Amino acid sequence: MIRFTAHRLALGVLVVVGVVVLTFLIARVIPGDPAVTYAGPRASKAQLERTRRQLGLEKPVVVQLGDYLQGIGRGEWGTSYRTKRPVLSDLRRALPASIELVTAGLILALMIGLPLGLVSARYHGQAPDVLVRFISVIGVSLPVFWLALILQLVFAQRLGWLPSAGEYDPNLYYTSPLTSYVQMPLVDALLTGNIPVLESAFSHLILPALVVAVYPAGLLARMVRASVLDTLGESHIRMVRSLGFGDRAILGRWALRPAMNPVVQVTALVFAYSLANTFLVEAVFDWPGLGSYAANSLQALDTPAVVGVTLIVAIVYVVLNLIVDIAQAFIDPRVRLR
Amino acid sequence: MTRDPHPSRRAHLLTAAALALAVALLTGACGSTSKPAGASSGSNTNATFTYGTTTEVMVGWDPATDYSNEIIAMNNMYETLTRYDSQTGQVLPMLATSWKKTSDAKTWTFTIRPNVKFHTGRPMTAADVKAAIDRTIKLNGGASYIWGAVKSIDAPDARTVVFHLKYATPLDLVASAGYAAFIYDTKAAPAAQLSKWFAQGHDAGTGPYTVANWDKGQEVELRLKAFPGYWGGWSGNHYRNVVFRVVPTASTSAQLVRQNQLTWVEQLTPQLWSSLKSDPNLRTTTATSYQNLLGMLNTSYGPLKDPRVRQAIAYATDYKGITAALGAFTPSIGVIPHGLWGYDPSLPVYQTSTEKATGLLKEAGYGPGGKHMSLTLTYTQGDPFEPTVASLLKSELAPLNITVNVSALQWTAQWSKAKSTNPASRQDILLFYWWPDYADPYSWFINLFHSANPPYFNLAYYDNPEVDKQIDQVEPLSATNRPAAINLYSQIQTTLLHDSPALFLGTETYQRVMQKSVGGFVDNPAYPNVVFVYSLHPGQ
Amino acid sequence: MTAVAAPAPGRAGALTFVRRNPTLTAGVVLLVLIGLVAVLAPWLAPHPEDAGTATHPFQVLRPPSHSHPFGTDLVGRDLLTRVMYGARLSLRIVIEVLLLAGLIGIPLGLVAAYAGGAVDQVIMRITDVFLAFPALLLSLAISFVLTPSVGNMTIAIAVTWWPWYTRLVRGEAASVITRPYVESAQTLGVSHTRVLFRHVLPNSMTPVIVQMSLDAGGILLTAASISFLGLGAQDPTPEWGLMVSQGAQYFSTQWWFVTFAGLAILLTAIAFNLIGDGVRELLDPRRVITR
Repeated sequence: MIRFTAHRLALGVLVVVGVVVLTFLIARVIPGDPAVTYAGPRASKAQLERTRRQLGLEKPVVVQLGDYLQGIGRGEWGTSYRTKRPVLSDLRRALPASIELVTAGLILALMIGLPLGLVSARYHGQAPDVLVRFISVIGVSLPVFWLALILQLVFAQRLGWLPSAGEYDPNLYYTSPLTSYVQMPLVDALLTGNIPVLESAFSHLILPALVVAVYPAGLLARMVRASVLDTLGESHIRMVRSLGFGDRAILGRWALRPAMNPVVQVTALVFAYSLANTFLVEAVFDWPGLGSYAANSLQALDTPAVVGVTLIVAIVYVVLNLIVDIAQAFIDPRVRLR
Repeated sequence: MTRDPHPSRRAHLLTAAALALAVALLTGACGSTSKPAGASSGSNTNATFTYGTTTEVMVGWDPATDYSNEIIAMNNMYETLTRYDSQTGQVLPMLATSWKKTSDAKTWTFTIRPNVKFHTGRPMTAADVKAAIDRTIKLNGGASYIWGAVKSIDAPDARTVVFHLKYATPLDLVASAGYAAFIYDTKAAPAAQLSKWFAQGHDAGTGPYTVANWDKGQEVELRLKAFPGYWGGWSGNHYRNVVFRVVPTASTSAQLVRQNQLTWVEQLTPQLWSSLKSDPNLRTTTATSYQNLLGMLNTSYGPLKDPRVRQAIAYATDYKGITAALGAFTPSIGVIPHGLWGYDPSLPVYQTSTEKATGLLKEAGYGPGGKHMSLTLTYTQGDPFEPTVASLLKSELAPLNITVNVSALQWTAQWSKAKSTNPASRQDILLFYWWPDYADPYSWFINLFHSANPPYFNLAYYDNPEVDKQIDQVEPLSATNRPAAINLYSQIQTTLLHDSPALFLGTETYQRVMQKSVGGFVDNPAYPNVVFVYSLHPGQ
Repeated sequence: MTAVAAPAPGRAGALTFVRRNPTLTAGVVLLVLIGLVAVLAPWLAPHPEDAGTATHPFQVLRPPSHSHPFGTDLVGRDLLTRVMYGARLSLRIVIEVLLLAGLIGIPLGLVAAYAGGAVDQVIMRITDVFLAFPALLLSLAISFVLTPSVGNMTIAIAVTWWPWYTRLVRGEAASVITRPYVESAQTLGVSHTRVLFRHVLPNSMTPVIVQMSLDAGGILLTAASISFLGLGAQDPTPEWGLMVSQGAQYFSTQWWFVTFAGLAILLTAIAFNLIGDGVRELLDPRRVITR
């Protein structure tokens, strides 16, 4: 077990280093001279030279890469051209909002996807199965940015049931000021018992979370179906069935648990996927997270910020992968043999 | 802010605060008994005015040099000696209660309003006025050129400021400018650190509101709160808080104003604006503006260096089509918009003509059958009109064997690219708006068409010594001989139309939406998009 | 893996095939229809010039009517025409990405499996790094540093996609290589290239084909997303994602602008996903979807 964990950790570190190298390549491939962008448009030749030396641009690329790796390790992620603040501190502000949104989205996705998948497996080949499969195909085929616009138009603008944009009503700043601990309004409002903000934050969260949930819900429904059908075909279920247990008992007690393993794995992986998908959702709902930050940085040609976002999402992805791998090895020893 | 406040001042502040509180309680009580409060205005004790805009507000914080979107917030934190009323054409007193000029208009004496306090707590004196304008002139950034006529400033006593000019200028008008004319406390921080202190999100004005919270890059970017010691007092019915909320998409703005989360919206699409007309809780207004949309053509590098090519593009542009497609614009006649002095409807503007465009291009070796031309065009991300203009220009130039590569950039990125030290990485066509700094045409000419190196706002990189000379002459002339100045402006505009360093694409009609509860709003195009929130009255 | 029997020829065989593979059939029918629109766009579209640089400033944002069944956009172009031409573009992008990614990914996987050892390790660790990014993120980052255009977007997506095929081919090829006939071919002195491409490759392709058919929908959505964010196709290219982004501001007042382009993306993605599911059921029913 220790050997397995160590091996996985080493691989994880290697991948993170590789990710950093790849982002370095992307950032430095930019047509043009990074010194010009750093020194500002009105820099003189001498200033440019100085900047070039400061940035280490005159050194060989390999040395530059080494410096870059060390900088990332020390938390020096550069300064955003747009906000003029360290990228890392910008990310520290933006990430919690996105994590709140994606978590809410995945909870919704599980609430939708799991039952659909189970129904589908239970009625394998029958009408409910066909219906669920069709719904889940739509779920994974919807362009999220389009869905975001449609839900916003229908539920916020036409029906007026839900607010159309933002994290919570900013006017509450005056009547019920919110103390921030984790930079997630919903959680902060819960922690401080701030009911007006809680209500407002909750209603603001529903639409964007629903949009984030659609793809994972479709994916989970398909996964659960496939995985339950798989276990239903295994020998222990056949034995249980021959003992006369009903379908519902079999599904709930024997088939669901082992089928959950891949589900947990997919949920973890889809988290990072959804984090990238917020690039398309947050801008529509003015959600102040990583996605809005990324979309704004893309339009401002803000390379350090774009690299920072890319890096943070990739790292979240690698770390979650690692955790899932190791956790599964703990639960299911067979995994270690792979 | 490490300095200890004087005890006397603190007492003063306390009295003022107590007074404000008492007044607040009184009006609050009235508010709550008369009618249920609206969601955004609340009771009048903390009535909040939420301004909806599309791009970042506080591009900079220094009242001396900043020259961009922050105008909408700065004019609520800072005040000027005078203010221009665009409806009557009069210059009204602000921090100056009265002024007089000598007959040659070269010496101006302003009497300073008594009992005015800076947000730092210091009382404003004539010496402070002098210090602020001196610093603005010395830093020589942004719109500081407006003080170009000033030779020296004297403050003979605490309430008198005397300006000695190099040449005659309507200084009362200059002093009303929306940029670079602010009076601020130069002692808010040690002189060497003042700019840095400002940049951290501080203000040192005399205006009705002061910074409460600044969250750069966030949706609710800036919150201002009432300055208790404001000379105008808070006994009347005023908004106590001003919030600037950046909402990049027009449809979201429309929705937020409908839900009463925005009090006032700067700009929507004409379609959305019309759709809000029937909303019983909202009021829509229109006003002609001094704001025109320009396409700056790169006169220093690339194919547009050839004036014939620029003329060809000016001929190829379908001005009527552009204004028809945009919906909230009127065609421009030259540089100076309708409503401002110097406007000349008889200028020889370009009449769209494909034949003329083709002919000129042919002379230059381009056009159908000639060399292929590839141009880059940048416009400001978030503006609802510029993408349409970009698409139309691209379409109009395509049959002429000209490809236009369009990129949408946030303003700061667009501007950096335009000012790039490497001419090759600058754009060929840049779309942006210009508006005057005070009610005078000079701003367009000195900023956009006077040579300057490195470039600042002359993003056509136009360099014509003859025009430079005329621009230098026109300002003194406008104080002494207005008809001659108008004549000279017409001459310059004729040259500009002929040289074509810019396309004059149209003048915007302001289409605003606000809550019906907002009382007393008047659009003042001399301060584009500025809402003087203190002058408004929150309704019940 | 060689169990894929071709369906028996003849009408009865085709009918059986359809009945046994309803998903695949539905997907193929839908895709064929979209493909027909794409191919015939120049003849079907009411205003073919509107797919290019033409504009009509005096008829902007017109609602659907007889002459413009899907309405017009913000510079007066016919949206039906643009949606039809968009099909051409989207199908082209998907095919090009799959070809490019396959051309990079498959040979690398073969080499990794065949060479083994250090070469295998290096190639596979590189794929690990690429797979550590959600596909949309990496393609966006690469599109960001290139000049925005359809061509560069295609490259950016392909660069993101190849590692999947490398992994699949390597896994499959590694087991194929241990089979006796490969070993005997090697001992007979058949050249490496010949062994790889004549014996190993054909027997390792099934999972790649399944994965490619599953991926097509994802590639379509990724391309539309990149264009939506402004880093892909540029105006006046009739790209669906770009059209949605241009219309977003006008959605609540001019619903048609965004609606039809979005529906086109949805229908095409459904077609691809149905085919993907169908192909998987047909060729590799045990395969679990992970993306």
